[in-house]
Parts: sequence; C-alpha cells; structure tokens
Amino acid sequence: MTRKRRRLTAVLAGLATLGLATFLVLTAFSDNLVFFYSPSDLKTKHVPFERQLRIGGLVEEHSVKREADGKTIDFRVTDGSNTVAVTFTGGLPDLFREGQGVVAEGVLRRDGSFLASNVLAKHDEKYMPPEVADALKRSGHWQETSASGNAEARK
Amino acid sequence: MAFATQSVSLGRSFLLLVYRDLRLAMRQGGDAAMVVAFFVLTVILFPFGVGPEPALLARIGSGIVWVTALLAALLSLDRLFLADYEDGSLEALALQPLPLELVVLAKCLAHWLVTGLPLAVTAPLLGLLLGIAPAGYGALVLGMALGTPSLSLIGAIGAALTLGARRGGVLLSLLVLPLYVPVLILGAAAVEGAVSGLGATPHLLVLAAIALAALPMTALAGAAAIRQALE
Amino acid sequence: MNRFANPTRFMRISAAVLPAIGWLTALLLVVGLVLALFVAPPDYQQGESVRIMFIHVPAAWMALFVYANLALASAAGLIWRHPLAEIAAQEAAPLGAAFTLVCLVTGSLWGQPMWGTWWVWDARLTSVLVMFFLYLGYIALVHAFDDPTRGARAGAILAMVGVVNLPIIKFSVDWWNTLHQPASVFRLGGPTIVLSMLLPLLVMAIAFTILFFWLWLVRIRSAIVARKLRSLRLAGADDFAQLDASGGKPAGSYPS
Repeated sequence: MTRKRRRLTAVLAGLATLGLATFLVLTAFSDNLVFFYSPSDLKTKHVPFERQLRIGGLVEEHSVKREADGKTIDFRVTDGSNTVAVTFTGGLPDLFREGQGVVAEGVLRRDGSFLASNVLAKHDEKYMPPEVADALKRSGHWQETSASGNAEARK
Repeated sequence: MAFATQSVSLGRSFLLLVYRDLRLAMRQGGDAAMVVAFFVLTVILFPFGVGPEPALLARIGSGIVWVTALLAALLSLDRLFLADYEDGSLEALALQPLPLELVVLAKCLAHWLVTGLPLAVTAPLLGLLLGIAPAGYGALVLGMALGTPSLSLIGAIGAALTLGARRGGVLLSLLVLPLYVPVLILGAAAVEGAVSGLGATPHLLVLAAIALAALPMTALAGAAAIRQALE
Repeated sequence: MNRFANPTRFMRISAAVLPAIGWLTALLLVVGLVLALFVAPPDYQQGESVRIMFIHVPAAWMALFVYANLALASAAGLIWRHPLAEIAAQEAAPLGAAFTLVCLVTGSLWGQPMWGTWWVWDARLTSVLVMFFLYLGYIALVHAFDDPTRGARAGAILAMVGVVNLPIIKFSVDWWNTLHQPASVFRLGGPTIVLSMLLPLLVMAIAFTILFFWLWLVRIRSAIVARKLRSLRLAGADDFAQLDASGGKPAGSYPS
C-alpha cells in the first residue's frame, strides 16, 4: 500500500466512525434524553410513579391556589395539550407566575398528580420592558411563550 | 500482491503489540487484579461512609459504581505510555512500519482489556452489594462495556500529553476527569432509566457514539502528542 | 500574516496601537455600563435583575470566542512552529478562564433570584463548567514541562481536542431540555430582545471583545519581553559560569 493510499484509507475509516457516531446520537435524540419531562410525556411514556424526576411546562393561567395553611401551593403545569396538577410547599422563585415556564422536581403520585419538592422558574428567551409587553398584548401581536421554551423548538 | 501482504502485516503487528502489552501487564503482577481490587474496595467504603440504609444505597448505587470505575480507570492510565517512554521502546515503536496512530489504538485496546473489561464484569457484583434493582443490571453491564472504551481512549490522550511532565499523575487527572463527565452522566442515567422503566437505550446509544468519536480523535491527538514528546 | 509574525515588528506595531485600543476599551466600557445600568429598561418579567445579563452574556460569548482564538493560535503554532503563535495561545488562556469564571459567577447570581437556585446540572451549565476546567487544564499542562516548547505543543494539542466542547455549549440549549433559556440574539428568525436592551448588550459585547484584545496584546508583549530577558540572563549565566571555571565567585542559583 502506498503512503498516499494508506492515508486515504485512514481518513475514510475516521470519517466512517464519526458518521456512525453521529447516526447513533441522532437516533438517541429522537428518544428521551432530557432534563425534564413535559406533561404530555407523562401521559404517553411510561414515566414511573414515586420516583424523583423533573417536569417542565407553563404554569396554567388562573390555576395557582394557596391552601389554607398559607404555605402549600397548588397549580397546574401545561404544555398546551396536556396538564398535570402540582402540589408544592415552600418558597417560590421571583419569576414564578401564571403563564411562565417552570421546572418542578419531585415525584409523580399514583393519582397522576405531582408532588414537588423544589420549584425552579424557567425563563424564556424574550427580553422586553413592561410597556412593550403590554403594548404587544393590547395590539394582539403577543405570541404566547412556547411551552418549556427549547423543548418546543425541537419538535 | 504488495497491497494485501502489507495490510496483513499491519494487522498482525497491531495484534502483536496488543499481545505484548497484555503479556507485560500479566508479567508485572496483574494490573487487572489491582484495578478490580481498587474498584471493589472503594465501592465497599461507601456503605460505611453514607450509612447502610438500603433505599439510599440503591438510589445512589449506579453513581457510586460509575464514579469508582472512572477513578479505577484513571489509576492505571499514567503508566499507559510512561514505561515505554522511559525505557525507550516508545521510540522504537514510533520507527516501525505500523503508524503511530495505530500504536496508540493498540495500547488503548490493551489498556481496556486489562481495566475496562474487568470493571464491566465486576460491576454487577457491586450492584448486588449496593442493592441496585435487578432491572438495572443489564444497563449497568452494557453501559460499562460501551463506556469504558471511552475512558481508555480519552485517558490515552491525557497520558500521551503528560509524558515527561512534572507531577504527571495529578495533572493527568486534572485534564481527563472533566472530559469523563459525559460518560459518567450517561452511564449513571442509563441504569436509572432502566430501573425506572423509561428505558436505557438512548443513553447507551450516545455512550457508543462517544466511544466511536473518540477512536479517530485519540488516534490523531495521541500520536501527535507522542511525536512531540519524542522530539 | 507573516509580516506580523515577526516578533520585532509585532512589538513595534502593537506599541503603536496599544494606547488607542486601551482608551477605546475604557470609553466603550463606560458607555456600555451606563447604558446597561441606567438607560436600559427593566424587563417585564425579571425587573432590575435583567441588568446582570449585560455582564453575563458578553462574558459567556467571550469565553467561547477566546477559546476559539486559543485553538486557532494553537493550530498555527503546531503547523508553522511559530513562537509568536505559541505565546499568543498561552497568553489567551488565563483571559478565557477569567471570562468563563465571570460568566459562571454572574449566571449563578442571576439564577438564585430568577430560577430559585444557584446552580443546576443541566447541559448548558455543565458544559461551560467543563470548558472552565479545560482552560485550567491547559494552563497547568503548559507549565508542567521543563522545556517550554514541549509545554506549548502539548497544550496546543489539548486546546484542539477541547474544540469538541464549543458546539456542545452553543447548541446544548437546543438539543436538550435545559433550565437555561435558549439563545435570544444569535438565533434563526432574529433576536427576541427589544432594541433598547439589545443595544447596551451589543455595546458591552464589543467592549468586552476589545478589552480582551487589549489585554491579550499587553500579555503577549510582556511574555516576549520576559523571554528576551530570560535568554539574556542565560547568556549572562554562561559568562558567569566561565568566570566560575576560571576561579571566580560561585555562580549561585541559575534563573530557571
């Protein structure tokens, strides 16, 4: 084998392994390699009960209710097609509000509700002053934040 | 046919090199046994450290096994090229017809056979000690089998880069451990996925992909590092 | 390219432009900070905390940009064996590590009030942390050899291997569900940030870029001077050693 030929074989072999690696990664990405699950995932995939996991989505409008003890909060997380009820006791981050993205850590209970031990606010990629947000809403140009931000972009 | 004979002789010298390294490892008192002993002993320390509560151990078991496997693989890395570098045989290896890129891969294969493979075989036993749910064993062994080659390959780059460096061993872990993070995340997540019923396949696929991508990268970077070390 | 690669000419040209770049950096930083801290409006969701972004985002961009420069200089040093490229690569690394640290710390300060946590192990944060360790590993590797050329070459190979991490950092927010928000500026379909916030952000980004180039030039210049000094000293030590051999005073410790 000449030197040139050998080099060509080496390059082809290297490219072939890289190609195969890319193919495997792409196959895996179509599946569930995630930081959190969406409410739809909870329905369609067999997400186990009573195990620590994260769910993410938007806090449904008008769903946040404080219980009588003043510390426990009930709300629903939605991704547009499915919702899940969440119960949480503790301090909420500043960005937590209705219509905003949220990631909750906790366990899925057998009745399908989610008991959160920790709630993180997920920020979206929009930055604007309040006046602009109001104006957009008034003029009807407001685009609702995509559920759980980047998760939507992949679909 | 010159073409065929030479490619045969390339394959032959590759295997010969692997065989040589394996024999050296056996001769020098069983690297494999030492690595496995370290692996088992360190894992056994955890129940003493965090307490023997079965539920807790079962939950963090896959992480313990993987972190310890990482350290065990790291432990034997600094000698991957160092012995050959110090006694001059690395120079001889660089001069023979087998390209240095393949020399590096041959040494990685030998390293994997004496560390990664025994680790993967021992892992289910340790899973048993830590009480990992039986559903996770397949993912643990498969994940180890697919992940430990990456440990050898990525580690080889670090080992080649630190040849002749001061405090080579500590430096090697500083270079290599951050690069091991993806393997650790995916390996532990595969077990978790299998136990929880979500499936381990995507994690295993990406582990395999990392190993494949590391092959050409290690061959190139490792050979370049050895060349500049021999200059 | 080669015209600038001559160290003497590099020293002359860089000495000429350095003051101008320094003043430009200062001006842009002042303008950028005033715009970011006083002129830009508070965000409709984040309120005043959004101002952290004007430091955080440029620092994050710089962390990636400096790494790209480090890798390019490393490649040039390996291919053309040019000492100036080797020096440039080595002198970029501490700057990159500093920008990465600023990015991590400001991100953490923003995350506590906004997300409700200082740190999460999502793909974006983890991959940036790995890059921080890559910078540290590079710096440690470069200085681990008695022969500085070997350190430079080993570091260059490591720097080029680490390039794999750059696309992972950039696209981590698109490939995985991360807590970190996706890109607001460099995205398909245009920025999702209003002009009154985008403008200060861009001014700060340009200021950080020029700040980096200014610091980089200063560092390269002092490294060249240090090398010259060392070779002069070594030459002097040779004279001293001859003196020593001919019965003079003991040579004492040689500069390392």
